[in-house]
Amino acid sequence: MIARINIWYLSSFLISLIVAIPIIMIFSSFFETTSEYSLVLKETFLSEYVINSLTLLIGVLILTSIIGVGCAYLVSFYNFFGANFFKWALILSFAVPAYIYSYSLGAFFDNYGTAYSILNSLSDNIISNSAIPKLDGMFGAMLAISFSIFGYVYVLTRTSFHYQSQNLIDLGKNLGFSKKKTFFKIILPSARPSIVAGLSLVAMETLSDFGSVSFFGISTLTTGIYNAWITFDDLTLANRLSFYLLMFIFLLFTIENFSRKKAQYHTLSKSGFKTKTKINLKGYKSTLAFSICFLVFFISFLFPVIQMSYWTILFPKHFFDLNLIDLLSNTLILVILSCSLLISLSFISNYGNRITKSKLLQSLTTFSISGYAMPGIILAVAYISFISFLDENIFIFENYNMKSFFIGSIFGLVVVYFVRFYSLANNGIKSGYLKINYSIDESAYLLGYSKIKTFKNIHLPYLKNSIFLVIILLLIEIIKELPITLIMRPFNFDTFATTAYTYASQDLLEAAAAPAIILILISSAFILLTSKYILNEQS
Amino acid sequence: MKFVLTIITTLSLLISSLLANEVNVFSSRHYDTDIQLYEKFTNQTGIKVNIISGEDAALQKRIIEEGADSKADIYITSDAGRLGLFDAKGMFQNSMSSLIIDKVPKNYRSENWTGISKRARIIFYSKDRVKKNEIENLNYEDLSNLKWKNRIAIRQSNSIYNQSLVASLISNNGIEKTKTWSEGFVKNFSRTPKGNDRAQILAVASGEADIAIANTYYYALMLSGQKGKDQQEAARNVTPFYPNQGNRGTHMNISGAGILKNSKNKQNAIIFLEFLLSKESQDHIVKNTFEYPIIKDFDSYELITNMNLEISFKEDLLTPVSDFAKYQPDALKIMLQSGWK
Repeated sequence: MIARINIWYLSSFLISLIVAIPIIMIFSSFFETTSEYSLVLKETFLSEYVINSLTLLIGVLILTSIIGVGCAYLVSFYNFFGANFFKWALILSFAVPAYIYSYSLGAFFDNYGTAYSILNSLSDNIISNSAIPKLDGMFGAMLAISFSIFGYVYVLTRTSFHYQSQNLIDLGKNLGFSKKKTFFKIILPSARPSIVAGLSLVAMETLSDFGSVSFFGISTLTTGIYNAWITFDDLTLANRLSFYLLMFIFLLFTIENFSRKKAQYHTLSKSGFKTKTKINLKGYKSTLAFSICFLVFFISFLFPVIQMSYWTILFPKHFFDLNLIDLLSNTLILVILSCSLLISLSFISNYGNRITKSKLLQSLTTFSISGYAMPGIILAVAYISFISFLDENIFIFENYNMKSFFIGSIFGLVVVYFVRFYSLANNGIKSGYLKINYSIDESAYLLGYSKIKTFKNIHLPYLKNSIFLVIILLLIEIIKELPITLIMRPFNFDTFATTAYTYASQDLLEAAAAPAIILILISSAFILLTSKYILNEQS
Repeated sequence: MKFVLTIITTLSLLISSLLANEVNVFSSRHYDTDIQLYEKFTNQTGIKVNIISGEDAALQKRIIEEGADSKADIYITSDAGRLGLFDAKGMFQNSMSSLIIDKVPKNYRSENWTGISKRARIIFYSKDRVKKNEIENLNYEDLSNLKWKNRIAIRQSNSIYNQSLVASLISNNGIEKTKTWSEGFVKNFSRTPKGNDRAQILAVASGEADIAIANTYYYALMLSGQKGKDQQEAARNVTPFYPNQGNRGTHMNISGAGILKNSKNKQNAIIFLEFLLSKESQDHIVKNTFEYPIIKDFDSYELITNMNLEISFKEDLLTPVSDFAKYQPDALKIMLQSGWK
């Protein structure tokens, strides 16, 4: 045990602890008193909120796994018209934040919305609003969230499918499995860690979502959290509710970890790897595969982009009003600082977990990353309370102005981003690590490699694609991040996301479209630039 | 680490002393046109306005936790209840200059904060489907009447504007009566509450409801053409009606501001507030956000001529807007208990 406690152990322990601070802060709410809202909530809508949260979660999980795994399967195992295009084009959906997707969906199908305008300008007869389907409520929220985050499942699953050896498929053939059986019995189970990693990110984002659910007027647990805090001024209850949310996610993680206890997911050694031969689809099958991918691409990316572009062209003034240079440099600073911090610390933590194999450390990491399910704003507030607590109670900080250093500064903003997105970075790197056989490490040590050298010369090259993937995911998340940026930012500091929010909250989605479309285009550009790494065809 | 912290602290002190001619505003009122107004202020006075805008409760929490170290001088928000609640925590200081007291009607200010613009939450109805005798002399209180069954559109109970409206009913009629009212009122909804105020007005235009409750500036925004031609046309088919004209008057709410307890630029902050209450600023606000001006003896005819709204209606000046903070929690409780989603 003592031998295990080395610098790697300590640093990963410390990192997980920092990430766990907000969770500990909100847990402390159980030692404080709450307002009478807890009773009101229990006797009125609590069960409905829980049911709505669960319904939304299940709906989104089903939709994202069908869309994500389905598309990943098509582009990884088959050749059809457009397959190479969709391979990267489907990642573009990431560039569209759920809240902007919701605006688009709402504005298109609403009374006197875009659909109404288009239909009536095309037709001589007046088309009534009731003739246009209303994609709102629970169904609208499910659609908006699913189509804006299915990319997690798609990207992670596709990478995993891509690195599956032809041997696996041959195995299925040799056993006399049908294609369907091969898919369900071999391909899918061997991609399980990646699918689960994707779905757990989806689950956490769904549960912590407030923008989409409030836009579509459905009340979930986050509605309860906001009501408790904002109207009843009861942050304690808001924190408790957030804590229940986290425990739920933590439970899901634990069940998943437990259920795959013994299974290992390492890739075969290089000599055993056989590149897959993709099956050529012809005729209607090719058309079908194309149509499925195109439909997903259209709904997830083209539709919101067209809606935003339509507004930007209709009201060009808002575009020219933007202070592009400021917005761009603010966004870039945040992205660069946060990405470097997140990637380097995730490596340390993963490597620490790997070489110490400590159960305690693993549990702490799992615990700390479940913080991703906390609404961003609750996390930021927990962080502010923590800094204020340090400043006022810990004497070594007495002579320093901790608050102005950590609150309302770029530095503070980056720290909270770190806490918020750590699970994303950590999970991404972890799913890459899971595939590197432990025996490789052992061979390296036998050859006299130090731990750092093993990391640098062996793990890093293996993990190159995972790193690019994580960077791009982080970059997109940070560009579109809203609640934390709003509350933690310095004076006069705007990003594309906060600008879009400002317009949207004065009911001018038409003006929000300009910053939104730029936000989407920047993210798309980054995705395109790195897609060749994300989709690297070498093993 | 200590060294770095020391340097940063010194530098930040140095920088802030160099840029002392400023006023720091925390605002949960997000209008891009407010920024233009602040630029005018800087041009006139040489005082720089620094802004952080964001969600109300989060901004308040940040100011509270920053405590004596907070750089914030002024807090602006768009609901009287929220101002009152923050004031009750002792976050504002008494800073109402004689000019402010002179300009703003008593009902719309306290010792520690003042309204900077006001809003009327009124009824919008369809002339085709609502009979003249139904709408005449209508009060908010009448909306629980069975004759409105399946005819009313209003947004969710978590809307702060609804909470303030119901709080004003509690202030006038008491908790029990308001509870009974709310139960009847909710039964009259024509659809599950969703969307913002504009969506309610459009629900009347499209025939989903006969009457809607909404703030006037949402209606004016559509009439202005900024939401496109179809919505402009739709808004023209809906008629505004000001309730409770025969008694206390129509429910009014405010956007307001107060100078914070720990303000380091109090003098600048007062000059800034007085600037917001100047005729020039009020005119800017009315023309851009279509709210009502808060100062006495100033009517913007823009609202009547272009926006089809009234300016000479009877405002509820009897219910102090500071009561909203007092009754908002009860209001939400009543709303939730009567099934208002």
